Amino acid sequence: MDALAVSVPFLPVLSALLILAFFRRSQPLAARTSVTFMGLAFLGAAVLLIHYLVSGQAHVLDFGGSWGTIWLDPLSLVLWTFISGISLIVHIYSVRYMVEEPGYGRFFALLDLMTAVILFMVAAADLITLIVAWFLVGVILYFLLGHDHRRPAAGRYAFWTQITYRFGDLPLWFAALILIRSYHSISLPVIFAQIQSHPGLQIWGLPVTEVTGVLLAFAAFSRSAQFLLHTWLPYTMDGPTPVSALMHAGIVNAGGFLFNRFAPLFEHAGMALHIAFAVGLVTAVTGSALMLIQNDIKRSLGYSTMGQMGFMVMECGLGAFPLAVFHLIAHGFFKASLFLGSGNVIGDARRHDGVPPDPIYTSVVERRPAKPSRLPWLVAASLTVLVPMVVIGLSHFFVAERLFYEQGVVVLLFFGWVTGAQALFAAHKMSQQDPWRLMMGILVSFVVVVIGYTLISHYFAHFLYPSLKESQGLFQAASIHMLSFDALVFLLAAIFVGGWALTFFADSFELGNHLGRRGRALYLMFYALLSRELYVADVYAYLSQVLLRWSRWLNVWLGWC
Amino acid sequence: MVWSLGLLAAILLPLFPLSWGFNRLLTSLPGGWPQALAVIILPQAGLELLRFSHIAHTLPPLWRLYGSLWAVFSSLLYAFRAITAREVGIWTRLLASSGLALAWLAWLSGAPLATVQVFALAFCLPAALLFLLAAALTRRMGGAYLGLRGGLVVALPRLSASLVMTALALLGTPLFPAFFALWRSFGHLPLAWVPLLMPLPLLWGWATGRFFQDLLYGDFRGEPMTDMGRMTSALIGLMLFASLFLNLFGGGFSA
Repeated sequence: MDALAVSVPFLPVLSALLILAFFRRSQPLAARTSVTFMGLAFLGAAVLLIHYLVSGQAHVLDFGGSWGTIWLDPLSLVLWTFISGISLIVHIYSVRYMVEEPGYGRFFALLDLMTAVILFMVAAADLITLIVAWFLVGVILYFLLGHDHRRPAAGRYAFWTQITYRFGDLPLWFAALILIRSYHSISLPVIFAQIQSHPGLQIWGLPVTEVTGVLLAFAAFSRSAQFLLHTWLPYTMDGPTPVSALMHAGIVNAGGFLFNRFAPLFEHAGMALHIAFAVGLVTAVTGSALMLIQNDIKRSLGYSTMGQMGFMVMECGLGAFPLAVFHLIAHGFFKASLFLGSGNVIGDARRHDGVPPDPIYTSVVERRPAKPSRLPWLVAASLTVLVPMVVIGLSHFFVAERLFYEQGVVVLLFFGWVTGAQALFAAHKMSQQDPWRLMMGILVSFVVVVIGYTLISHYFAHFLYPSLKESQGLFQAASIHMLSFDALVFLLAAIFVGGWALTFFADSFELGNHLGRRGRALYLMFYALLSRELYVADVYAYLSQVLLRWSRWLNVWLGWC
Repeated sequence: MVWSLGLLAAILLPLFPLSWGFNRLLTSLPGGWPQALAVIILPQAGLELLRFSHIAHTLPPLWRLYGSLWAVFSSLLYAFRAITAREVGIWTRLLASSGLALAWLAWLSGAPLATVQVFALAFCLPAALLFLLAAALTRRMGGAYLGLRGGLVVALPRLSASLVMTALALLGTPLFPAFFALWRSFGHLPLAWVPLLMPLPLLWGWATGRFFQDLLYGDFRGEPMTDMGRMTSALIGLMLFASLFLNLFGGGFSA
């Protein structure tokens, strides 16, 4: 089994070398080699995962050097299977999609190298391997995003990505150096064991775990496009679509992986988790808001990913680490299918006339009732508010009652309730001939999804973190003072209920027509702010221009010597 | 005498403002080979001078501290200046000066001289290769100024690929020797120094991004040119590949 484990990340490397050395000019051979080796890597990863499920033994593989060790634990095995699976789909999709692009062989070689580096990253058992792979992801992604050399914009956006990634590399380097100096080892299992035995170790008067936890969180933020470090993500759409799919389905999830890899450290880094919660929440809201006003499907998907990544980091901030992994896998499949299908959507949009639906059109052409037929509002409101609460509450109660005593779970249940209610509210607003039938359909789907999600995520959490102590430790680290927690929940509830009320009344009473001049100006200003993506990229562009001016001035002053 | 040798060493192993002399000397040399040899030999000569002068034993701790701070400043200054360089030779000189200033930091923090010599070589060898590639570019285009013709990768794919890989090697990309040299030198430093050095990889990354943007992207505008020979590019690839393997099996890092 060890030989198989070694071969999984090296198979794509071998494929890349073969393509670069022999098959660069032959498109069919390059594609066949790449897909075959990727398929073998996926099979190998799946076999290793099944073997672990049967044997239940995690261990570290050492190649004999001072670094370059591989950790075969549940996290790396699950992610190996997921990443190689997604990569295989992307490979197969690229065979025809990229056939008319120049540099076909190079593209497959880079895709293979990227997959290999990610496989090494998620299975790294020492800090040097992790840092090397973490860094190389940024380098290879740069070349993949800038695959089309004819377009300077592709290079520009690839550069944005690369520089943001580099920004995230620095806290990881610093955290690694602190850990190495404090625990005198580069081996992650050794460091984690020492953290458990000496959790109070200090540096500069602060706990090592807190300092490194905050640094690791910042490294995760840049990789997972958290607010203020997000500007690169929506613009990477200039790269080939398969790369967008791989990036949004796999690469951008590195933040969630990092939190989970260092979970034993985060058990003693409450402050880092609180920061992650706040940053994740802001990112989720901002990303979703920006997604709603985009008119380009790929950029809209980009901001959707930003929102999802915010939610994933927020889950980590609440101590629900395995849920974040489950989320990143579910989101990965979902987003990969959306990206790979986006070409069809664009094609459909070009074929159809795009006449916006209006009551006369729907009544005359589509022969649907012009006047919306909806449920009585009291019934709809009761269903919208109560059903999600009952379904989500009961499903968690039957799976694990203890979860109700964890703050993180309560917040997540709260978000689950809000999301469920929002889905039912949206269903209620749809115009249908038989609203009861629609609502019943939505309710049944909702119950099935919630129960399925709860059960699967519970067993998945048990698989990733078999020790109850570890799971509880993470929830404990993420907990805050009870009074602050209650205040936070009330504040969030007020914001959501206020938002719903505003949407409902704005729609019902056509508030847009009653806005005064100042109100309209405020509305337009807010719209401009969102459409310019909060001016974050503009501020960065301005600052970089200033720095470039200074650099040029210095060079001229010093005679370029 | 000791101080004169120290000052001379600061010219050869570039430390601002005496690094101006190092850069001026490299500019004045004709062609790629003399520049390549100079960028390898001069820093090693500077380190030999430091060994010969025994200055390390005479430096008071406070001077060491100021010297280290100055080395960090010098490195950051050259990295910052490199972000606007578009001529391959100038870009290489500035980044080599930035990397080599860190050799002072390693030396002042007590790293063995042999380690510092290897550290300097890790930056000098790719820099030397870049000087040779810049000369090859000059022979074809009349100058090694990037960004004027755009998309050189279309006209000169092998030369461009060699430039990209060598630039990555110079800037401490993982698996290349400069990365491990950097890690080892960080290993000798007090942790409090690390945040001061953190902007450095960021500036190097910025300089590389702009360098690649000018080198690789856009439509090529110009006459067709003869690319570098297959054997030469294969040799460069082999050298870089060999340096990767050296790191994998011999140049690792331990706590």
